[in-house]
Amino acid sequence: MRTYIDQIRAIIWKDLVLELRTRERIAAMGAFAVLAAILFNFSIDTTSTRPEDVAAGLIWMTLVFGGLLGVGRTFYLESQDNALLGLLTSPVPKDAIYLAKTLANFALLFIVSVLVLGVFALFFGLDLGANVGGIILVLGLGSLGFVALGTLFAAISTGTTMGETLLPILVFPLLVPMVIYGVTSTGRLIAGRPFDEVEGNVRMLGAFAVAALAAGAMLFRYVVED
Amino acid sequence: MATAGMRRGGTALTLVGLAGLVFVYWMSFFWVSTEINQGVVQRIFYVHVPAAWTSFMAFGFSALASAMYLWLRDDRLDRAALCAAEGGLVFGTIVLTTGPLWGKIAWGTYWTWEPRLTLTLLLWFIFVGYFMVRNSTEDPEKGKRFAAVVAIIGALDIPFIHMSVIWFRSLHPEPVVAKPDGPSLPADMLTTLLTSLAVFTVIFLGLFLYRYALEGLRAEADLRSRSTAT
Repeated sequence: MRTYIDQIRAIIWKDLVLELRTRERIAAMGAFAVLAAILFNFSIDTTSTRPEDVAAGLIWMTLVFGGLLGVGRTFYLESQDNALLGLLTSPVPKDAIYLAKTLANFALLFIVSVLVLGVFALFFGLDLGANVGGIILVLGLGSLGFVALGTLFAAISTGTTMGETLLPILVFPLLVPMVIYGVTSTGRLIAGRPFDEVEGNVRMLGAFAVAALAAGAMLFRYVVED
Repeated sequence: MATAGMRRGGTALTLVGLAGLVFVYWMSFFWVSTEINQGVVQRIFYVHVPAAWTSFMAFGFSALASAMYLWLRDDRLDRAALCAAEGGLVFGTIVLTTGPLWGKIAWGTYWTWEPRLTLTLLLWFIFVGYFMVRNSTEDPEKGKRFAAVVAIIGALDIPFIHMSVIWFRSLHPEPVVAKPDGPSLPADMLTTLLTSLAVFTVIFLGLFLYRYALEGLRAEADLRSRSTAT
């Protein structure tokens, strides 16, 4: 058990250091998020819709699209110079590799999701008030569920000739429950409703994330064998 | 040979099914009484519901065969999963075309995010992904594994999708809520529905066996061309 956790930690560390030095994915996701917020701002007619009514949906769409941008490249760097093979032939169990990759992605996406929230709060004039903690929790659970599926399917799409084009086609239908629970709870929290009101949704988000993690950890070995 | 027998069985079942389909059409157009509230349009129910049932069964079977394939690595299981997924997609397409046709008249709109309709649409797309993954790998073995993972994750996601779309809809009640399945169907309608269910299942099994035999032949031909090449 000790070594298992150490192995996961080592891979997460490696990924985060790589990211810290190149800043490739986080910069892409961050810039995407800010630019998407600007575009969304011009895509709605603020004379007929109040920005805070649609903000929750737009935040989640930004998160999903921006997340794909980063998560889709999870295995890109390593597949370039066969480093992935090195990682896979190391004595680390496959599910540890999956969990480590997923958690490293989660760290990135969670940072981006907080950034997205801040950007939308600024551009759309949202008054988050006392619910900031709740909204961040919801975005965190959503990010976790997203990367759990995204990392598994990134491994799949990297192995196909279609590459990252395939990723949204595979992931979007599966993400519907997450978007439904995430958007409604975020929307209500932005509207200033108490956290109790969305607790059931948040639980479902958590259940979705846990189920996705468990399924990913179980099935990842079949994706990367050979 | 087993494959030839299966092909013959598939052909026979499909023919029986098609003959049954003629009978079902006769029943649903001429024999069964017209539903009093919805009128003639309700008759599409006898195609729509059996198609939905068949497609869900096929997708479920495909996911099950996929899981067994990852476990046992028997190519026959992969072929079964593939053929069932194809059948599911075909019958799913029937559901997704007959549903809106009925909805336009019964609900006044072609599309509504009715939970079952939404679930069928998403399942349909999940299995479109199944085929895209399968066909976009250089190594067919890899494609089989990838597709199996897609089918399994898709099946695992169904409860979540189901719960969330029902929950989502409860927030947005439709002005005209028509439920196609009344709890107590009149006897003649029930008979028609059950006959149609049986016929659709037979057609699916026939097509499935036929496709399965074809995939078997294809694998055998591959093997032969490879052994002559070396």
